[in-house]
Amino acid sequence: MSQKSPRRDEAPSSTSHPVRQFNDQVGSWTRRVARPTGVQRGAGRMVVALLLAVALFTILNPRVFLSPINLQNIAVAAPEIGIIAIAMMLVMLTGGIDLSLVAIANFSAITISTLHTAVAASDPGLADNLGFLIVLAGIVAGMLGGAFNGFLVSVVGITPILATLATMQIYNGIAIVWTGGSTLYGAPTMLGAIGQAAVANIPLLFIIFVFTAVLVAVLVNRTALGRMIQLEGANTVAARYSAIPRRAVLMKTYTGGGLLAGLAGVLFLARNPTASADYGSSYVLLVIVIAVLGGTNPNGGFASVFGVVLATLTLQVVSSGFTAIRLSSYEYAIAQGVILITVMIIDSISSTRTKRPKKTKAPPGADTTTSDAALVRT
Amino acid sequence: MDVLRRLRGTNNEGVLALVLLGLIVAMSIANPTFFTLNTGFSILRSSIVPVIFALGVLIVVITGGIDVSFAAIAIFAGYSTVSFCLTAGFDPGLPGIFAIAIGVGVALGFINGIVIARFNLPTLIVTLGTQGVFFGAMYTYVGATYFADLPGSMAALATSNLFDVTTDTGRAYLHVLVVPVILLCLAVGWVLKRTMFGRSLYAIGGDIEAARRAGFQVQRTQVSVYMLVGALAAIAGVIHIVLSRSANPRDLVGGELDIIAAVILGGAAIFGGRGSVLGTVLGVLLVQVIKNSLLLVGVPSAWLRTAVGVLLVVGVGIQAIAAHRDARRTRVIQDLDTDLKKEQELV
Amino acid sequence: MSARGINKNFGGVPALADVSIDLIPGEVHCLAGENGCGKSTLIKIISGAERPDSGEIIIDGVSFAQINAHAAIQGGIQVIYQDFSLFPNLTVAENIVLTAEVAVGRRLYAPASIRPRAEAILQELDIDLDLDREVGTLSVADKQLTAICRALVNDARAIIMDEPTTALTHTEVSRLFALVERLRTRGVALMFVSHKLEEVLAISQRLTIMRSGRQVVSGPTADFDQRSISSYMTGREVDDSRVVSELDVNAPLALEVTNLSLAGAYRDISFGLHKGEILGVTGLLGSGRTEIAESLFGVEVADEGQIRVAGEVVAIRSIQDAVAAGLGYVPEDRLSQGLFLDKSIADNIVAASLQSHRTRWGMLSRTQTAATIKRFFVGLKINARNADAPVRTLSGGNAQRVVLAKWLATEPTVLMLNGPTVGVDIGSKEEILELLRVEAAKGMSVIIISDDAPELVAACHRVLVIKNGRLTHVLEGDQISVDTIQERMSA
Repeated sequence: MSQKSPRRDEAPSSTSHPVRQFNDQVGSWTRRVARPTGVQRGAGRMVVALLLAVALFTILNPRVFLSPINLQNIAVAAPEIGIIAIAMMLVMLTGGIDLSLVAIANFSAITISTLHTAVAASDPGLADNLGFLIVLAGIVAGMLGGAFNGFLVSVVGITPILATLATMQIYNGIAIVWTGGSTLYGAPTMLGAIGQAAVANIPLLFIIFVFTAVLVAVLVNRTALGRMIQLEGANTVAARYSAIPRRAVLMKTYTGGGLLAGLAGVLFLARNPTASADYGSSYVLLVIVIAVLGGTNPNGGFASVFGVVLATLTLQVVSSGFTAIRLSSYEYAIAQGVILITVMIIDSISSTRTKRPKKTKAPPGADTTTSDAALVRT
Repeated sequence: MDVLRRLRGTNNEGVLALVLLGLIVAMSIANPTFFTLNTGFSILRSSIVPVIFALGVLIVVITGGIDVSFAAIAIFAGYSTVSFCLTAGFDPGLPGIFAIAIGVGVALGFINGIVIARFNLPTLIVTLGTQGVFFGAMYTYVGATYFADLPGSMAALATSNLFDVTTDTGRAYLHVLVVPVILLCLAVGWVLKRTMFGRSLYAIGGDIEAARRAGFQVQRTQVSVYMLVGALAAIAGVIHIVLSRSANPRDLVGGELDIIAAVILGGAAIFGGRGSVLGTVLGVLLVQVIKNSLLLVGVPSAWLRTAVGVLLVVGVGIQAIAAHRDARRTRVIQDLDTDLKKEQELV
Repeated sequence: MSARGINKNFGGVPALADVSIDLIPGEVHCLAGENGCGKSTLIKIISGAERPDSGEIIIDGVSFAQINAHAAIQGGIQVIYQDFSLFPNLTVAENIVLTAEVAVGRRLYAPASIRPRAEAILQELDIDLDLDREVGTLSVADKQLTAICRALVNDARAIIMDEPTTALTHTEVSRLFALVERLRTRGVALMFVSHKLEEVLAISQRLTIMRSGRQVVSGPTADFDQRSISSYMTGREVDDSRVVSELDVNAPLALEVTNLSLAGAYRDISFGLHKGEILGVTGLLGSGRTEIAESLFGVEVADEGQIRVAGEVVAIRSIQDAVAAGLGYVPEDRLSQGLFLDKSIADNIVAASLQSHRTRWGMLSRTQTAATIKRFFVGLKINARNADAPVRTLSGGNAQRVVLAKWLATEPTVLMLNGPTVGVDIGSKEEILELLRVEAAKGMSVIIISDDAPELVAACHRVLVIKNGRLTHVLEGDQISVDTIQERMSA
């Protein structure tokens, strides 16, 4: 919000101040260099929140909270949630929402587990050799789930909330039928190995998470598609008038979301070689909390991958901190809701303070629609 | 043409009724055990709680919002009332129990309303948040034990039937609670159609800025709406506990989609401004009949969830495609209008 | 009703400075001024939608420091907004009567009593509307009639109409004027907000002109003529001068349109556009001028006809097709169709040319994008602290330069601009036209769709006049003057 103070001069003077213009230019370039890409309003706030959360629980119960096992647990539990949250962020960037992500992740995990068990029943060795392909099948299953969401939203034209509410139920229902409602055991040994592995004491899962986050950050900030996703979310009509292919962009976004959810399903299995239709049902709320905390605007157009990563870590810290000071998972659920609503209220207050009320609707079919308020000159 | 239009209803209630009728006929032919008083009464019984929830969701959806915390409010209000009565060891009678529960529900709804209306936040995300808060708060501060015995007045109500008919397929019971549900439907329908409060809900859902300019108290109305939803949810919560003859804190939450699906199928527009009680009731009945028929046809109950999802996709998808086409058609009509005007002008 | 000494600032920027206005029963008071002069803000304050920083509003001798929507309605003030503020999901009858019911604080609603009251109003004004139709399905003119009826049901003693003629066709406008006259004779005080000179002169008895938030002049309309109003509005004399380069008639055709038709919008439109030419397309609102441009740009696909760009026949079925063919379009509704208001200037500039800034793997080239942004940010003299500023913070003229930059970045063969200087201050207006001249000299072809005659005179080689969806006149050379254009447009 660096634009609070209005400019004092109009066009004519701009020509007569080459020095000032040069100054502006320099300011612009230095600011851009000084500001790492993808770091937006969410990130700065989350750094503070993360440090506060760590400090709080360190003071409350340093022995348990700072123990290597606890830190290890945070690093192992965060990736699966974090990746789904990044998928949620991606979809919210277009102004939509995807409630089916957790169901897709479970669906992917179940696909892998079932395939593995089926192959392993005939030849255990083969199952291990085909491990990679089986995992890939799971990720593809996730992508297909996402693509179907994309189809419903972009081609059929169903509101994202309703479309994904329905597909959540469909994917979840298919998973229940498939598993018969019970928990499946078995996953490629390769995944177990990944789940246990660590590089320099950092769990491999966490490295995968960071790597994924970097990839998505590059996608969002450095690619043409990423820009289109942002612009589509910022103003659909203007995006259309800028020749941005809406259908293709939405299709790719939801498919990408499904892909990430599929990957999260793989991580479910890597942590624990079991799969069930009801795993992580509390994640649906959690990932929305994380995405919004991380600076994602639910109306679309703005998000920060780095902010989402930090928000994931913060909530994992709060979660394990709650365990460390012996609070229940229900109290954690309360905390999530309270944090979500508090952050949104703070955002809403600060944005009404800095922004003028904007016009809500354009006149229907009117030829001229210039809002005086937005055109007030200095 | 006019008669047809009226039969069809403003929100396609007629179409929905036809679908429902068709389904019932088809099911009766496919499986004679379907078309019995027994099945009918049991579908009605299983619709009692969903209909009350759906009325609440309908009210919110008309104003252009959505509420997913109603199930959490219902079980919070119902369970904490029962828990309070049992631990305190006194039975305030049915009016007392309902009054306590409604008070709790209204208070929780007030929290939703004040957050949404005062700070103008997205309703889905706020109610997702409060859903977690309400549910967590119930477990943490009220308790998580399962009560198999209810206070006397509730237990008595649980076994009261309105009709008790003996047919050749066995005895059919129609539960007495069907009556208050019908009364509630009539009351909500009356409020929506015949009070300024009801009309203001449609106005807000149609164009919130226009509603503000017309002098409607938008914020106050929004808060009242969520309080009303809280009250309806609380009633549904108590009735659910009565019908299941036990108070289980794990009940209800998770079934929100079925209700929202029914309301949307009943013709309410997710962006607000449209929806009727009749459509909503038909929507709920449709979902219940489909659930029931799937079981009768022999589809495993595991498919129910998928079925509701598919139903929602089909229902909303048809609406979405129809909306595309309508948009195109209105343009053509306007074109014709301007053409006519041009011709008049030339003459 | 009168307003005295109204002041209003937006974030330190004065939007209204010491404005006073009186509404007298039986009189039409015109509030005129260019876009952005503070007219809408004044209306919002009078109707209670915004609160003034200082000043007072007096209704029947009672003074209010500020007023809320409810009190304004009770005081008999009704505003008919540019967007009408109707409820699209309710019927005409309900829309007409509902606000009156709110105003009297009624709790119950009786559908049976609604209809007769709505019918009475329709009869009184001699208007024909289907009371049971949903407002969302009405034409724009009928929506406006509904809004007027609604104002009258509320026993309005003062009716404020915000740019009521914007979306109306010519006949609809004259019908509206007749209605306004009838209301006036009934003793209603009317305020008519407009920036169109002919309208102002035709309808009002009293006139107030605003410029940049200040009240420039007030007085009986009889004391003004088109030229004086225009000079008060713009702050300078009407400019009839032409700054047009010699057009090379042998230059190849950049765009050739043959027998283009769209049912209900326009018919048999054929014209050619030379490389480097600036072509004006003018006509009244609803004449089809905007639809022609939108068809060329793939927004509303034409039913028949052929379009050639640089000699090649192209099929334009979507905006992507049009852009791929080398067409660009600066839409008239800049705020919602042209700009991503919350995004930075930089993001807006490259929004339409992302594909051409791609390197391998779909990555955006940082150096290329930075160069493009810098080129246009500096080249178009966009006046902001830096290119990272959100577009929302820009003035109309600067915002329009951003839209222009977005399209220039695609290096179009033909750039179409719809109302390129609507809501733009005088200085920027000149500069934007000059920019177009420079780009045309470099070989780009330009189409300016506008009803602003001086602007067409100042920049265009040729001017096409569209009437009732048909191309009626092609003006060239000396034929192009403010008077001829206005005459041909409305004749």
